[in-house]
Amino acid sequence: NQRRMKRTVPRGTLRKIMKKHKPHLRLAANSDLVVRKERGGGEARLRLRLPRGIHLNFLLFLRRLAEEARTNAFESKNKIIKPEHTISAAKVLNNFNIF
Amino acid sequence: PLKLLQPKAVPKRLGTSQKKPHEPQLPRSLIKEIFSHFVKMPVTRDAFKIVEKCCERYFKQLSNDLEAYASHAGRKTVEVADLEVLMRRQGLVTDKMPLHVLIERYLPLEYRKLLIPVAVSGNKVIPSN
Repeated sequence: NQRRMKRTVPRGTLRKIMKKHKPHLRLAANSDLVVRKERGGGEARLRLRLPRGIHLNFLLFLRRLAEEARTNAFESKNKIIKPEHTISAAKVLNNFNIF
Repeated sequence: PLKLLQPKAVPKRLGTSQKKPHEPQLPRSLIKEIFSHFVKMPVTRDAFKIVEKCCERYFKQLSNDLEAYASHAGRKTVEVADLEVLMRRQGLVTDKMPLHVLIERYLPLEYRKLLIPVAVSGNKVIPSN
């Protein structure tokens, strides 16, 4: 629990993934990719930019998936998450229109 | 123009690298790390593969949805507002759980600091969960 996720947002990849699915769709603030070097850089005006928003949504999606899978594993008295647990978790999320 | 020049017959599926190089996708390690962070249980290798597939589907659906919202608003550009609408529909953003709270909880500290400067200005207290 103490250990936090170290990796940050692969912004370029998120954009590329979106581009793959919707080549014509633009993501907001293309011109304004402010945060490239968060740690070193000077202070810049920052608002919620989309790739990060997508990342947030992605995190929450994975969290729901994880929670559902965990519940499934508990219900079937397993101590390890197995494929069937994630599959049925995915089905649940599907029913909730998450994806 | 010269693409027919010497097509070498490279045997596929050699060794361990099976991923297609041109498909943009999130690093598996990242997906794995995030998922296991939330699931807090051991996960089998095959289960991770399912998770990866789910991620692909998720992004497909996400781009469909965002496109729909943007075009509904008469835009060709996806904006944060579209994302917020989406997250409302997903039940992630509610009146009791506004977007900035989600940001505070789930985005890494560097981003939180940048996104919510109020939380760190004035004193040095790091916004805690």
